Amino acid sequence: MPYTLTRAEDSVTAQTRYPLGESRRVEDDPMKQQVHRSVFTGKLEEVLHSAVNWGRKNSLWPYNFGLSCCYVEMTTAFTSPHDIARFGAEVIRASPRQADFMVIAGTCFIKMAPVIQQLYDQMLEPKWVISMGSCANSGGMYDIYSVVQGVDKFLPVDVYVPGCPPRPEAFLQGLQLLQDAIQEERRPLSWVVGDQGVYRAEMPSQRQMHRDRRIQATELRTPDSL
Amino acid sequence: MSADTLTTEPAATGAADDPVVVALRQRFGDHALLVQPTLTGMPVLWVARESFGDMLRFLRDMPEPFEMLYDLSATDERLRAHRHGLPEADFTVFYHLLSVSRNRDVMLKVALREDDLALPSVVSLYPCANWYEREAWDMFGIDFVGHPHLTRILMPPTWQGHPLRKDHGARATEFDPYTLTVAGQEVEQRALQFKPEEWGMQREREGTEFMFLNLGPNHPSAHGAFRIVLQLDGEEIVDCVPDIGYHHRGAEKMGERQSWHSYIPYTDRVDYTGGVMNNFPYILAVEKLAGIEVTERAKVIRVMLAEMFRISSHLLFLGTYLQDLGAMTPVFFTFTDRQKAYEVIEAITGFRMHPAWYRIGGTAMDLPKGWEKVAQGFLDWMPRRLREYERTMMDNAIVRERTRHVAAFTTRDALTWGVTGPNLRATGCNFDLRKQRPYGGYEQFDFEVPLGRHGDAFDRGQVRIEEMRQSLRIIQQCVDHMPAGDYKADHPLTTPPPRERMLEHIETLITHFLQVSWGPVLEPGEALSMVEATKGINSYYLTSDGNTMSYRTRIRTPSFPHLQQIPALMRGGFVPDLIAHLGSIDFVMADVDR
Repeated sequence: MPYTLTRAEDSVTAQTRYPLGESRRVEDDPMKQQVHRSVFTGKLEEVLHSAVNWGRKNSLWPYNFGLSCCYVEMTTAFTSPHDIARFGAEVIRASPRQADFMVIAGTCFIKMAPVIQQLYDQMLEPKWVISMGSCANSGGMYDIYSVVQGVDKFLPVDVYVPGCPPRPEAFLQGLQLLQDAIQEERRPLSWVVGDQGVYRAEMPSQRQMHRDRRIQATELRTPDSL
Repeated sequence: MSADTLTTEPAATGAADDPVVVALRQRFGDHALLVQPTLTGMPVLWVARESFGDMLRFLRDMPEPFEMLYDLSATDERLRAHRHGLPEADFTVFYHLLSVSRNRDVMLKVALREDDLALPSVVSLYPCANWYEREAWDMFGIDFVGHPHLTRILMPPTWQGHPLRKDHGARATEFDPYTLTVAGQEVEQRALQFKPEEWGMQREREGTEFMFLNLGPNHPSAHGAFRIVLQLDGEEIVDCVPDIGYHHRGAEKMGERQSWHSYIPYTDRVDYTGGVMNNFPYILAVEKLAGIEVTERAKVIRVMLAEMFRISSHLLFLGTYLQDLGAMTPVFFTFTDRQKAYEVIEAITGFRMHPAWYRIGGTAMDLPKGWEKVAQGFLDWMPRRLREYERTMMDNAIVRERTRHVAAFTTRDALTWGVTGPNLRATGCNFDLRKQRPYGGYEQFDFEVPLGRHGDAFDRGQVRIEEMRQSLRIIQQCVDHMPAGDYKADHPLTTPPPRERMLEHIETLITHFLQVSWGPVLEPGEALSMVEATKGINSYYLTSDGNTMSYRTRIRTPSFPHLQQIPALMRGGFVPDLIAHLGSIDFVMADVDR
């Protein structure tokens, strides 16, 4: 499986652009070389990664951060009818330092971008970003002077959730996709073990995965009756 | 329900013999003002820069005065083609005054030349002019001489240019793509730093140093990207400075590039908890310009959907308001109810938050078969829940202690600060546009206007619960008496245009094609429509220059003045009171910054 390797940057100059750090595509599983050293440590590492990732993905603490309309739908996912607690992500944190992932739920404004960057920087690793809604994904409807055309202009994004705003179910699906990605991730198990970098798995595109099924639809439900 | 109804507002009578115009003429002479014919439903008067201050003072102090400066903004007139009979102007500043006692409005306009963009500030007359003048400075670069703190309000402090000028670019993609460097981040962070001296604040008093607490732009109680800097002496708020503009989506500039029809989805996102309620004033103003009279069925469908969204918005308010006070559970209850409301809304419109479902001349579709059953289910569900909320929440001793006599203001204060909607009615002022100036068919409905007495945080919550009951009453009447007929008016300017007329011959086909691709062309003119939206009075003031899109779209939203009032209320209060007050205002930042 191909991976994207990101590594924290030591030398940051004033002209460096966000997102900081090195990011490069790696074709081979980084564990392979180490796995081949010994069959026993290979298995053990696999089990350890799998267990740690399982723990991480099932206790994701979201950062209580919202920008606009999407945040209302995000909050809706936290309440009883949608019950995000089923996925272990209900422990909403008001401080970035306690949170595991940040949902950019809403429009990213030029005035707000430095604030978002500051809050992201205050979050501790491991951390992830879900971009929720068209505005955060690409600017969406708002190709206008005050709006950044997509939060990925300065933040690394893990999952994009389409919609304007996405339904709470769509947000929950995005969360599950993030969980799937976390399961495949390779992070150093300790600061002395292995390569000190984060290997993020390149997850399959949802559009390609569902394309065949989606184009099968030939008749849509009429809106004239319920 | 009666078939013949009044759709024009009471104020839409001839402007020249309006008693206010007569009084102004008597006092200032015939030549002091020029009456502009418009479709705004109020006298629009062009006055000289030298005399407009005296006129505002006269209007504010006359018997049955104009208590409220409802709106203040500007128009860049430089590219406007249809200005026959109007004074020469590069920029116009307009002052929209509202009188609750007269139930009338008047608008004063002052013409300015490009090389002399200055006029005296009116903050001393109407304190709520403060933010409006800052906005006009920010957006147009108009100088208000004597303003206490004329700085940018919506755009970042480091911004260059004035976005609503016609020579300023609109699209982000016209500029270089956004990048953020480490050095840039430092510059921006430094620009965001609060300097008390700039606001005339002391750093200490009698040897005690004040603490400056930065609340926001991201804070769980700030309901979005809102920042307020508190000057604290212990728990006491000595002074505070709200800082807005973190949610400015350029909705007004957007109106100058979207067609009349394709702007509708943008209105949904202004007060994003209000859904189609935002379509209402915009569509009404466009229909005034186009001269469209909608059918009875369209009116009732619109009212029903608008009231559904009022309930949904108030439920969101109630949940978050109580959560801000420390009650964790209510939000789970009210969001369950919101889900029920969305089931009805989604069944009818096919969308949850932003259906953009009103159309010029009617609605997007007819009601689906079986809608009555879904709507009735919601109507049967809600009353029991509302009783429960009242019993468990509003009768709760802690809630009462936290909110009663907190951030209370009088009707007079409210009008001075431009407060409208449930927050105004919580002070006991009976001013609900649905009753005072019925629009869009509201005159046919039987409902009451709930009023508070103390104007405190508790009354603001209580009034909204009561309003939900009244909205349920209105929806029940819609379900019981939905008129038969067409859901769209028979008019050539309705959008999308009637398809039956398309296939007659090549002319009709071309007309149809142009009207769908370019959109309808509206006659030059100005129209304004106000509605009683979820949070207060929301209005769209549209200027058409005879084109497929608006020349100037002014959106007056209720939350903007509501936030401006905070320092006046909170001086001397405590931090927990501020949180209770923020919860009770019911604002969303998109409704403030647009």
